[in-house]
Amino acid sequence: MSVGAISIRRTSSPLHDRPHARRLDQVDPYLLIATLLLIAYGLVMTYAVTVESRTLTGDPMQYVIRGALWASIGLAVMVAVAMFDYAWLGTFAPLLFLLTLGLLGIVLVIGVSSLGAQRSVNFAGMSFQFSEVAKVLMIVVLAKFFADRIDKIGSPITIGLGLAILAPAFALVYRQPDLGTSLVFVAIFFGMAFMAGARLWQLVGMVAIAGASFPIIWGLLKPYQQSRLTAFTNPYADPQGAGWNIIQSLIAVGSGGPTGKGLTAGTQSPLGYLPIAESDFVFAGLAEDLGFVGAVILFALFILLLMAALRIAFRARDSFGMLLACGVVAMLLFQILVNVGMAISLMPVTGIPLPFISHGGSSLVSICFALGVLQSVSMRRAGPELG
Amino acid sequence: MRSTSRDFVRPNRFLAMGMAIVIVFTGLTARLWDLQLVNGGHYRDLAEQNRVLRLPVEAERGTIVDRNGKVLARNLPGFAVTVIPVDLPRAKQAALSQTLGVLVGREASDVSKAIDVQRARNPYEPVKISLRPVARDVALLLSERGELFPGVRVEAESIRHYEDAVLYSPLLGYVGPVTEEEFAAYREKGYLQTDLIGRTGLESVYEEYLRGGYGWREIERDASQREIKQLAYSPPTVGNSVVLTIDDRLQKLIEGELKKGVDEDKFTQAVGIAMNPQNGEILAMYSNPGYDNNWFINGITPDQMKQLNGDDRRPLVNKAIGDIYPPGSTFKMVTGLSALNEGVASRGTVVNVNSMILNVGGYLFYDWRVHGPVDFVNGFAHSSDIYFYTLGGGNPNTGQRGVGPEAIYKYGSELGFGNKTGIDLPGEAAGIMPSPEWKVRTFDEEWTIGNTYHEAIGQGFVAVTPLQLLNAYAIVANGGTFYQPHLLKEVVSQQGQVVFTQKPKVVREVSITKDNLALLRESARRVVTIGHANMPKAKLPIAGKTGTAEFGISAGKDSAGRNKLGFHNWFVSFLPKADNTDPTAEIAMVIFTFDSSRSLCNNCYNPAVEMTQKVLEAYVLGKP
Repeated sequence: MSVGAISIRRTSSPLHDRPHARRLDQVDPYLLIATLLLIAYGLVMTYAVTVESRTLTGDPMQYVIRGALWASIGLAVMVAVAMFDYAWLGTFAPLLFLLTLGLLGIVLVIGVSSLGAQRSVNFAGMSFQFSEVAKVLMIVVLAKFFADRIDKIGSPITIGLGLAILAPAFALVYRQPDLGTSLVFVAIFFGMAFMAGARLWQLVGMVAIAGASFPIIWGLLKPYQQSRLTAFTNPYADPQGAGWNIIQSLIAVGSGGPTGKGLTAGTQSPLGYLPIAESDFVFAGLAEDLGFVGAVILFALFILLLMAALRIAFRARDSFGMLLACGVVAMLLFQILVNVGMAISLMPVTGIPLPFISHGGSSLVSICFALGVLQSVSMRRAGPELG
Repeated sequence: MRSTSRDFVRPNRFLAMGMAIVIVFTGLTARLWDLQLVNGGHYRDLAEQNRVLRLPVEAERGTIVDRNGKVLARNLPGFAVTVIPVDLPRAKQAALSQTLGVLVGREASDVSKAIDVQRARNPYEPVKISLRPVARDVALLLSERGELFPGVRVEAESIRHYEDAVLYSPLLGYVGPVTEEEFAAYREKGYLQTDLIGRTGLESVYEEYLRGGYGWREIERDASQREIKQLAYSPPTVGNSVVLTIDDRLQKLIEGELKKGVDEDKFTQAVGIAMNPQNGEILAMYSNPGYDNNWFINGITPDQMKQLNGDDRRPLVNKAIGDIYPPGSTFKMVTGLSALNEGVASRGTVVNVNSMILNVGGYLFYDWRVHGPVDFVNGFAHSSDIYFYTLGGGNPNTGQRGVGPEAIYKYGSELGFGNKTGIDLPGEAAGIMPSPEWKVRTFDEEWTIGNTYHEAIGQGFVAVTPLQLLNAYAIVANGGTFYQPHLLKEVVSQQGQVVFTQKPKVVREVSITKDNLALLRESARRVVTIGHANMPKAKLPIAGKTGTAEFGISAGKDSAGRNKLGFHNWFVSFLPKADNTDPTAEIAMVIFTFDSSRSLCNNCYNPAVEMTQKVLEAYVLGKP
């Protein structure tokens, strides 16, 4: 028996032929199930808070129909993105960075003013919130940046350069003004830097500096932002004014009780006591209609989603994939915390949408895009046999 | 081959991130637990309070009608503007007060203050901003642009309206808002701050009957205060109608005569009252000057207030019950009955009035003419002063005995003088029925025979309200029963059911014999047939007594330039069925004119007599 006869044959698995190829069996089922259920939950809630509304005008079903349309688009985007290797995102990171700034710049130039802020761009009869897209793009840009410098993550220069990447986007969003979304950028940055292995003292130091400079930041805030913060500390000081949203939201949530008043049977949102009930304060409507049980089910789905995403990060084949997933986790967790926290007066009032549940195409499609990336990471993860 | 190094995965940080997720959701869940499970009931109430507004539905006040159903006080539809303070942001209060002030015609500061007061008391209850009903276009503006007027509500309200306002104002009074001071007490009876209550007159006396019971309606409202739908409704109970004993026809006949006299400056003030002596029902009560009580409903203007306060005749006082006057010769009835009943005099008691002057110890007391010898009937019919001086105080020159002031006080009091009659009107005066003891108490002076003489002919200290005088003659006319005069006949519910009937209320039977009362009635009839209350072409057997009281001032002019002529003229009458003695008279009337000119009294012609004849003949004979 010749040596040559002994051919050590490589396993014939296509995976091994094309190590980066997608593996459909590696689609993360938990992430997928959580995604689908949350999208469905969001459509139900859109229906519940808009169909009986006394303050919205037009066809009562228009929000649900539009929501379903966006959900379809979102799912298509998710599938499409998952098909591609996420590595190409890294390749295009510098372009995506410029795209981010471009989108945010457009908003400032031709954006539509609503409620004192210029946050959306109207195109083809639809309204786009480019900052929602920008958040996801920023995750990609930062993931690429940190992944490239993963060996020098402990260096202050890395953190400094990271901040430099973040700063223009932050500033553009802040100028809209959209303090809440600009803070999402900060949360994404901190979450990713933390997961990339940045030194804790650097992160803590930055928080400390921000805290110490609070008086200066306070002075830079617009009066309505200041009054939201003071109203947060004591909503009953001006129950008809700045405290109104908070109090009405608390009433909605509290009055839902253990099992809620029943879908569409709530009164706070259809009668207009909850402002922007289909978006900013959608959680209050949910808690009123479906009660503690409904809220806990929502939380369970979120936890499932986030934990699945975290697991994908943990098992990612490379640091870029891991950081992409971690950025998405940081973004979603922060938005959930701030939006729900706002509805139950744990957080000041900001205009951050609740992922999946708030009605809004830009937000939903952006998140679907991000989750598509996560599935791509999952499908191309390091197999156990490759250890 | 790609690197298999997985140094980039830091398990500790993944653990931390996982913990962060758990902590975030644990925190959120804990807060929800507190809000929904622990305090859910509280927030559920708040949500209902948001959504459901329970609004009072005003009940219409009952009408006031005369005995034949003629409406004297009714309700007209209108709009009221109210503010619910809890729905009005403080920051917007100043601007809103400004706007509302212009729309309802009030100072912005007053509007704001009213809202502040209500905010402190109960911010969930509406406070009325409009003092008078607002026009329909203002009401529409406020209700259709609700979002511009936070907390403002427009409610239909009925406005009180008085028919023949000046004619009936002394009786009906008017309604007005509850004052801040009074409100605490009224609140317990279910009143709202926006309520109107009877401020005076019958509106005030019969408030309990007239006021309706609030209904309520629950509405669902949205955040802009727009009403979405009515959730529940409980209708209000309309107030009961108060039926008066007043006969509008008689009231207007009296007005026709007396108002003409005042307008022609024959006298400055006048009172006319008619009652049924058999039960105390007041058939008419007229006091001139009156006032327009609708002024108070629509929010009295400073000019109007000045006009009322500047009139020294005091138009707001019902002269029929609220002011006291010397009764003059009409009071001879009391002197005469006292003397008859005490046995000091009888039908045949004759006094020879051969001089116009009675000289007692150098003091001179006058009669108005030389009557010659007169008996009781003639003395009363011709109103001889010296005859009644003698019956009251006696004549020391002839030794004739008088009945004395104590007896006059006793019978005068029995006949109702010196005490309120208890009529169902506020502001009644008690009058003065003097006695020797009273004089000592009041002036610290002994009673003199001169006091008795003056009292005997209705001058001096004695002072009466026109109603008291009428009531005393009504007692004579009905044979000795003091019925409490009253204006309420019955109370009728909205469904037409009689809720309450005012029965005749006997205050007392006087201790004067039937015979003596009959003699007095006969004498009163003689006043008309042979005395100086001559009634030409009389169609009715009217009996009565004139009186002319002189006042100090008989010259000058009052605040409105009217002549003050210093004579008060009375004629108290009743109408027996037969010529004289039947105690069956169904109408007694007093006509009193104030500041009459002396010329009206030529030959002691008394304008009240002619007016009485005209009124009674028109009323009794012209009965439909």
